[in-house]
Amino acid sequence: MMVPSLRRVVLSSLVLLSAAAAAAAAQDTTSRVRELDPLARLSEGARYQVELLLDSAKVSGLPTTPLESKALEGIAKRADGRRIVAEVRKVFRSLRDARAALGPSASTDELNAAAGALRMGITPAELAHLVKTRHEKQLTVPLVVLSDLITRGVPRDTASQTILSLWQRGAADDDFLGLWRGVERDIVSGTAPGVALLNRAREIPSRGPPPAAPPASSARPDRSENSNP
Amino acid sequence: MSDELNSLDPYVQWIASEARLSVAVDPAARTRLLDALRTEPVPHRRGRVLAWLLEPRPLALPPLAAAALAASAVGIGMLGGLAIHRDGRPSTAQPPSAGAAISQLPDSIAPRAIKFVLIAPQASHVSLVGDFNGWNASANPMKAQGAGMWTVFVPLQPGMHTYSFVIDGSHFVADPAAPIAPDDGYGHRSSVVLVGGSSL
Repeated sequence: MMVPSLRRVVLSSLVLLSAAAAAAAAQDTTSRVRELDPLARLSEGARYQVELLLDSAKVSGLPTTPLESKALEGIAKRADGRRIVAEVRKVFRSLRDARAALGPSASTDELNAAAGALRMGITPAELAHLVKTRHEKQLTVPLVVLSDLITRGVPRDTASQTILSLWQRGAADDDFLGLWRGVERDIVSGTAPGVALLNRAREIPSRGPPPAAPPASSARPDRSENSNP
Repeated sequence: MSDELNSLDPYVQWIASEARLSVAVDPAARTRLLDALRTEPVPHRRGRVLAWLLEPRPLALPPLAAAALAASAVGIGMLGGLAIHRDGRPSTAQPPSAGAAISQLPDSIAPRAIKFVLIAPQASHVSLVGDFNGWNASANPMKAQGAGMWTVFVPLQPGMHTYSFVIDGSHFVADPAAPIAPDDGYGHRSSVVLVGGSSL
């Protein structure tokens, strides 16, 4: 028979241990839920709106990853729910417009890059013009460079016309990436962004009409093990 | 003794005399009895134990002990639940070997190891966030290399990815050595990495 005071101590310890175990388990469960369902960090209303947009994207045959990523980016940057919903909606609309301009054969990367360009002020008509002369080449790199140039202060029309002109002259991905590096350096050195672009664009030789799409096995520059591409 | 019997009622005397008669036992009866016993099933001890366990009986517990038992049950249940994934796989199951999986992929879609570098001499902690890790700041912490240089290698699928550096847990910084992503809408700039492959 246990002494009453000893029994009390044992029972109290058991209660405390159990409570600690339950609390630890609850905390772990919360972080696990966040890991498995990152959108759980949104408020109920914001989450509902985001999920509606995700469903709409699915029904429209649009990729949902960019929408989800935009929501997670907002959560990481501690934006409020309303702002996150607005940004996800903006991405949804731009993806839808990009799909309309690029057509059903566009890859997810092309759609993403085109959607970004649209959000930077490029018009669907300008996108359609690029598509007309694509010759099955991927539009991702020129569109990424176009958005970057506008963000760096190159006037939208100058950037758009220059990229389109280079594209029609058969410029390759490496030409566009080289152009971007040169313009970025010139801007840092104090050259006006628009002037920097025009100067650098002149250095790119005309390569004639773009060649037909290379076979899938053709060698592309391997950027593995590169420092920041 | 016989005097005592004689003094009793004659009916009782008859009963007593009948009781004293020797009983004639059939010699085969013992054999039949033993055979009959052998055909009977042997009673199981477990049956008695089970019956004892199933037998309802009042159980008195002080409230504190009852609370302790309930809390223990909840704690054990939650800890047990943590060991199981949502799809029922135990969490101890090893994930498939990334290296083996990658080696089987065609080159056009195989992940590439990309090195990210940031110079941030004042930072005490830097991590990489992006669409490839769900913008999770704890997924890809960067290593200090000295002289303010921070680096991390991340395997990325070919294609376009958006990312940012997080300095000291709260400052989002775009990569100065990469194209800038279109306006993020949240007041911070992000960057774009283009990983070579079939989609680029």
